[in-house]
Amino acid sequence: MAHQAHAYHMVDPSPWPLTGAIAALLMTSGLAIWFHFHSTTLMTLGLILLLLTMYQWWRDIIREGTFQGHHTPPVQKGLRYGMILFITSEVFFFLGFFWAFYHSSLAPTPELGGCWPPTGITPLDPFEVPLLNTAVLLASGVTVTWAHHSIMEGERKQAIQSLALTILLGLYFTALQAMEYYEAPFTIADGVYGSTFFVATGFHGLHVIIGSSFLAVCLLRQIQYHFTSEHHFGFEAAAWYWHFVDVVWLFLYVSIYWWGS
Amino acid sequence: MFRHLRTLQQVSRRTLSSSAPRQLENKVPLKQKLFQEDNGMPVHLKGGTTDALLYRATMALTVFGCGYVLYALIDAALPKKKD
Repeated sequence: MAHQAHAYHMVDPSPWPLTGAIAALLMTSGLAIWFHFHSTTLMTLGLILLLLTMYQWWRDIIREGTFQGHHTPPVQKGLRYGMILFITSEVFFFLGFFWAFYHSSLAPTPELGGCWPPTGITPLDPFEVPLLNTAVLLASGVTVTWAHHSIMEGERKQAIQSLALTILLGLYFTALQAMEYYEAPFTIADGVYGSTFFVATGFHGLHVIIGSSFLAVCLLRQIQYHFTSEHHFGFEAAAWYWHFVDVVWLFLYVSIYWWGS
Repeated sequence: MFRHLRTLQQVSRRTLSSSAPRQLENKVPLKQKLFQEDNGMPVHLKGGTTDALLYRATMALTVFGCGYVLYALIDAALPKKKD
């Protein structure tokens, strides 16, 4: 089938960039329509289209790599660059929210009482659930590394177990954080403290969910023999993303939970 | 996808039991044969009928969505006469 005289991947024409772009249009316009006219139909349609696009686009990439053999070493190098650049862009995304936090907390205005935490805010105890969350994510970093070594050494059963454990730890973090959100004595509407806390930790939580989902897909692929001991870039990308999520949490914990209390 | 979840359940059970497990069959060579068949099909349709159905559903939603968003935005932009 390959009639090419080079090691690069000329992809087949695909409809998913178009459907993805339309999904983005529908979600953004839908957001505006929801805000002004209280209807969520457009936004929901956009969300469904986004999910369909993601499923089919990434399914196609798996087909191209694992089943058609298009992911040669130069192609894989490009994929590595791509994932690293994407994670770097996400680092900058979070840097913005940390900037906002430090801007408000290093020089608290008189309206806040001239102090941080602001007057009237009871911050969460950093040595209770937040510390447990830190331990959970650090442990998940260990288990994902265990999974990687298992894959490289051809230890199928161990790879499945350690990857499953990583995902469970991720879900445990999410559940604990959801409980914390519910029980918190302050809300997102409680001034700049509430805003910086919930926007920064909220986006982090979303990334934990994304990372857990990515790892779950890797688990299904590992079970189905997609990964070899030499070639398992999908898993490596998921592991990189997971370590990034872990590091962001460490910064959040030290800055907002600990120093910020 | 749910078949795979069920398989995961079975594999986990077998993996965690102490008896020698019957391994899940490696279907990758079969898939490789299917997706390397020289039939000129693009990768997003090469899997068979399900691919085509999912593609049509997605495209239908895309086209409908385009129309709907234009209608919703134009309607939102026009001033409404109050009675």
